[in-house]
Order: sequence, then structure tokens, then C-alpha cells
Amino acid sequence: MTSGNTYLIALFPSTSGALMAEKLFKREGIPHKIIPVPRQISSDCGVCLRFSVSERERAEKTLAGKVDIQDICPL
Amino acid sequence: MTREIDARGLACPEPVMLAKKAIEEADDCVIIVDNEAARDNVCRIAKSQGCTATVEEGAGTFSIRITADGGPGKTEAGIPSTGPTVVVFPSDKMGQGDDELGTVLIKGFFHALGEVSPKPDTLIFFNAGVKLTVQGSDVLEDLHSLEEKGLTILVCGTCLDFYGLKEEIRAGTVSNMYDIAETMLSAGKVIRI
Repeated sequence: MTSGNTYLIALFPSTSGALMAEKLFKREGIPHKIIPVPRQISSDCGVCLRFSVSERERAEKTLAGKVDIQDICPL
Repeated sequence: MTREIDARGLACPEPVMLAKKAIEEADDCVIIVDNEAARDNVCRIAKSQGCTATVEEGAGTFSIRITADGGPGKTEAGIPSTGPTVVVFPSDKMGQGDDELGTVLIKGFFHALGEVSPKPDTLIFFNAGVKLTVQGSDVLEDLHSLEEKGLTILVCGTCLDFYGLKEEIRAGTVSNMYDIAETMLSAGKVIRI
């Protein structure tokens, strides 16, 4: 959507996982956006968290041991 | 013959109603208002009636000259089969049930709205829906990019006032019930979220 920025998305096994992750991101001040899981990834009506590639390390650290991550992949 | 209407000092939606009446009765009229909201609302009603509005700014007043173009904008009786698509947001959540889920869903909806086509023409926010358009809303960025793409965003002024958010609005235009009702009634399709 925004040019000049590459995004990753974190996928979760459940919607509540995505909600929990959003809260943790907010607390840590990691810029993010909650978006519907792109159609090419899944046809489920799921949500995922989008964040900048440069935040990968901080994102993983924030979620580690707190929320189950299904996958982190490029958008 | 030009009709002149002094609508200074009148509270919303009085100037809009006077303007509407004047447009119906005369081909050419001038409405004088004393605030920006009234100016914008009068201009909008003029355009929706297929007229041209030109604003002249004076000392604390705006003179709006409205001339009829006889264009296709003139409203006609009957239900239009085609027309603008209008999406209305009576709540800051999507659907009823769990509020937390509803908040996530509405954020997802606005993101998707930016990606899909066809896009709606107008979005209308009322009651708690207005909270989506104010400072601190998580969908402001999406709303701004939709506005850039040419969508019209109308926000209920009564509702902003009720929630004490009048000064906090960050997307769209403050509107009134006449505009809202008219936009819905002249739509080809109204989708309620």
C-alpha cells in the first residue's frame, strides 16, 4: 500500500492470538496495522498483523513465549 | 432575478434549508452565511441539486451564489435504479456481539476497502460511528487515503457534538441530517455496516 516500505505479516492460529499480539505491539510501540489475511495466503476470514521488515526482530522478541505465531511472511 | 437570503446568525441546518428552498424557487440566488460549516453545507446542497456554487468571502461572511445549470444532478421523483453507492457506519464496530472482535473487524474492513474495487462513492458516519473519524481512531490513515481516492466522507455533526468530539474530527466533512438523508435517498445502493 505505502510505497517504499516493505512489510511482513504475522499470522496466528486464532483471532484471539492476533488480538493479543496487537496489544503487545501497542505496548511496545511497534508500528503495525491489523489487516485481513490477504486472499493469496488464505481464504479464511482471518486477521493478521502487518509491520515493517525493519521491526522483525523486535516483533519476534515481543511475541516470543506469549503468543503462538503460525508464520511470519512477506506481504 | 437574483434572490438574496441572509442566513447569518442562523444555526445549522437552517441555512441549508433556506438554500434548498431558494434553489427550488429561483434559478439564481445568493445566500449569505457567517461560518465555514454553513458555507460547505450550502455548497454541497447546491451541487447535489445540479447547481453551481461560487463563494465570495467578505469580512466574517461568505456570499454563496448559486446558479442552476439544469444539469443531470437535479433530483427527480422515484427511486434511482443506478446511482452512487453509499456505505453507512452507525457504530465504530463491525457487527454486533463481541466489542473487541467488532473493533478488529472494522479495522480490517477499512483496510480491505482501500484494496478492493468497485469503491463506494460516499461513506456516512453517525452515532458511535463518528468515533472512527476522530483523533486517535485506528482507521484515520485508511480514511485519508480513501478521501484522496475521491470518496466523500460525511460525519454527523449532531453525533460529534453529543460525544464531545467536535474539535477532534480528523477525516471527512461535518454534515447534517438533511445531507445524510438526501445522500441515502438519492443513492443507487446503501450498505449498512
